[in-house]
Amino acid sequence: MKFFDDLAPMDHFRSEDMSLVQLIMPVESAQLAVSYLGEIGLLQFKDLNEEKSPFQRTFVNQVKRCGEMSRKLRFFADQISKAGVTTYPDSASEEVIDLEQLEIRLSEHEVELLEMNRNSEKLQQTYNELLEFKLVLLKAGRFLGSAQNHAVMAETELVENNYSMKDEDGLSLLEQSIQPEPSNMAGLRFISGIICQSKELTFERMLFRATRGNMFFNQAPAGEQVMDPVSGEKVHKTVFVVFFSGEQAKSKILKICQAFGASCYPVPEENNKQKQLAHEVSLRLSELEVTLDAGMRHRNKALASIGSQLWNWTIMVKKEKAVYDTLNMLNFDVTKKCLVGEGWCPTFAKPQIKEALHHATIHSNSQVGIIFHDMDSSESPPTYFRTNRFTNAFQEIVDAYGVARFQEANPAVYSVITFPFLFAVMFGDWGHGLCLLLGSLVLILHEKKLGSQKLGSFMEMAYGGRYVLLLMALFSIYCGLLYNEFFSVPFYIFGESAYKCRNADCSDVHTVGLIKYRDPYPFGVDPKWRGSRSELPFLNSLKMKMSILLGVSQMNLGIILSYFDAKFHANPLDIQYQFIPQMIFLNSLFGYLALLIVIKWCTGSQADLYHVMIYMFLEPFGNLGENQLFWGQKELQVTLCIHLLYREMDVFSMCSTTEILLLVLVIIEVCLILYADIIIDSGHSGSSLDAFSKTIYLEETTDRGRTYGILGTSEMDVDHEPDSARHQHHEDFNFSEVFVHQMIHSIEFVLGAVSNTASYLRLWALSLAHSELSTVFYEKLLLLAWGYDSIVIRITGLVVFAFATAFVLLMMETLSALLHALRLHWVEFMGKFYHGDGYKFKPFSFKLLADEED
Amino acid sequence: MGFMATSIIFFAAGLIASLLVRLCFNRGASTNLFHLTLIITATVCCWMMWAIVYLAQLKPLIVPILSEAE
Repeated sequence: MKFFDDLAPMDHFRSEDMSLVQLIMPVESAQLAVSYLGEIGLLQFKDLNEEKSPFQRTFVNQVKRCGEMSRKLRFFADQISKAGVTTYPDSASEEVIDLEQLEIRLSEHEVELLEMNRNSEKLQQTYNELLEFKLVLLKAGRFLGSAQNHAVMAETELVENNYSMKDEDGLSLLEQSIQPEPSNMAGLRFISGIICQSKELTFERMLFRATRGNMFFNQAPAGEQVMDPVSGEKVHKTVFVVFFSGEQAKSKILKICQAFGASCYPVPEENNKQKQLAHEVSLRLSELEVTLDAGMRHRNKALASIGSQLWNWTIMVKKEKAVYDTLNMLNFDVTKKCLVGEGWCPTFAKPQIKEALHHATIHSNSQVGIIFHDMDSSESPPTYFRTNRFTNAFQEIVDAYGVARFQEANPAVYSVITFPFLFAVMFGDWGHGLCLLLGSLVLILHEKKLGSQKLGSFMEMAYGGRYVLLLMALFSIYCGLLYNEFFSVPFYIFGESAYKCRNADCSDVHTVGLIKYRDPYPFGVDPKWRGSRSELPFLNSLKMKMSILLGVSQMNLGIILSYFDAKFHANPLDIQYQFIPQMIFLNSLFGYLALLIVIKWCTGSQADLYHVMIYMFLEPFGNLGENQLFWGQKELQVTLCIHLLYREMDVFSMCSTTEILLLVLVIIEVCLILYADIIIDSGHSGSSLDAFSKTIYLEETTDRGRTYGILGTSEMDVDHEPDSARHQHHEDFNFSEVFVHQMIHSIEFVLGAVSNTASYLRLWALSLAHSELSTVFYEKLLLLAWGYDSIVIRITGLVVFAFATAFVLLMMETLSALLHALRLHWVEFMGKFYHGDGYKFKPFSFKLLADEED
Repeated sequence: MGFMATSIIFFAAGLIASLLVRLCFNRGASTNLFHLTLIITATVCCWMMWAIVYLAQLKPLIVPILSEAE
């Protein structure tokens, strides 16, 4: 034990030492100090103004201004992306501008941009109208022109035109009908316009109904796509001309046009007037085009210049907002000239922080330095692990279950190896392992490139776990070699098989089987087992026993870690009355079973282990149901047990005396776990409050777990310390609470021992499933397809085999084995010693902010 | 090879690995201890797995009975 004390503390095993610090900053250097602290990113500020609403805080105006600026920046980003301008972040011109100047500039840019947008909108509208007019002129002109050729030319303004399109005979009839009755021609007028093609049919019908059929409608598609002002998209439009007579009809038609969103344009009758108008319109159109182009170029230039600075500005604004949010967490002191803040920082970072504060004082030309000193605390500090990119993934896996309590043993240290190992036990196939290895190597080699990109959520997870994948692949290859499976095909890599035929002609290999004639196959499962009829009984027995052995080892490791925890927190109670009973209980049952398994393998005995284990309990256990009193009676219990058990001795086949003793120990330890803590606790209550400065650990029992409180004495004037962390905890010893807690804990452990050990059998179950799936795909897909002579069938078989392997085995089985290995870690391993009710260290850091936003 | 011989090979491999890691990645006492823990855990896991599979085949109670197919 002394050897363990002399070792250096292991990296990652316990979270970093933290100290609660207090900062007193004069107002002029506060902002600079906080932004420097944000650059370092190692101080977590406590919110001293928790009860205040966001509007009651000191710096609410600045936060509002920052919010306004970020809105403007978002507007710019929107405009840039809509205009499709590609910007090149201009890192060369790093002009250091103040926040107020930035604000002024941003509002200038915004006003400018809005105005440009308005103008271009107006111009665009005019352009559209002119375009529509031009089209109407073109098409309607044709209708009217062809009508005029058939009718008599009149020099009056109101030209009456009767027009019929397709019917040539009808045309001549109409013509004839016109001439003798010129008086009828008065009052026949027309309206020309343009309407969306989709609405055209209903429009026509509506007009027909409204005018009771006394109208003539003609239309032609416009040919070009015109920008619809309502939707902002280009749509097909149709030019129409409606011939009608009478004022009422006209007003009706105009109203209908308005309702349908058709725009009406007056078209003159005479050909030359039309031509003249068309010419004018074209001229104006081209002018407008030029103007529009110029306007767009101007705007794009402005956007480009904004865009080059946009990234820098966004970051600056975000940082300032973060700084003001942090400043809002601080308090003003009595004199209203200083800001007081509290926070947690790792002890190793204190010199760095002091230096940053010193720089801030110098750069802000402040007369007074910033005060930075430790404080005592009675609440538990946050948990902080300094991880690199390799250990980060494993720490996240552990944190997903629960963040470690401050300075308790971190299971991630062992999980780095045991998690991929348990995965491999369930995945064991070195062919699939090689595929996983390739995948993980691809991810690792492209680390830098993938790290800077934005990935989809699935790729993000795969990228984050690339080192986990690498270890999983390596262990899978190892286990695959042990199980001797390469896409379910065994190989003779490590020498000859240990089995051969009994006779020279191998006559009875299908009935009695082979015989073992030499030492076992040196590495892994003998290849002769694959495909034999007794393969499954053998492998099942092997894998089940393997699961029990691995499970017992991992659970023992968990309990041993709880010993180290108890020693670190100087908790002799836990050692004596929790660790030792737990060890003895687990090992007298399942450690004994593990021993029996190994002995059975080594000696080749035929004893039935189920029978042995069950009968160890069957007779003796029933009698101890009512012996639940005070633990001082344990001597009596032992005697009783031995007396009772000696009578049943002849039932056991091996090591009966050992078993009886072990059973007795089991029962003793159960009672110990149950009651000892209560008795000892009640003895201790009141005497451990002596003021032995900062290193007294009181135990408070709550129903979830235990919280450790550090009591200390320090003289700071208590008057103006609002919301400080130095509360005094009073402990009160509640017998019923402790009793219930201990009862729950001991029942959980006792019953959990059986269920957790059985839970490890999933190692067997999943590896069996994997190997069976693998065999099925190999035999029923590949071999079947290879049996045919045709090359097409062979290729198809190969392709289907590859897809099935990739999707079912490589993806689904990987996820499945991953999940089960995770569960084994979280529940069975970490349940033995881990509390996981701490909170993570979240420092005020600009880097973390940037990651969060993305 | 015998059980003992291969176990000694595993042990030696673990020793060599830890020495190599100490030589190539020497980053201070705590980190060295962490690396050593990882190597020991890996060696123990691998050895246990191999030993289980080996011992299970030492004195088997059943033998392979080939199937009729091939």
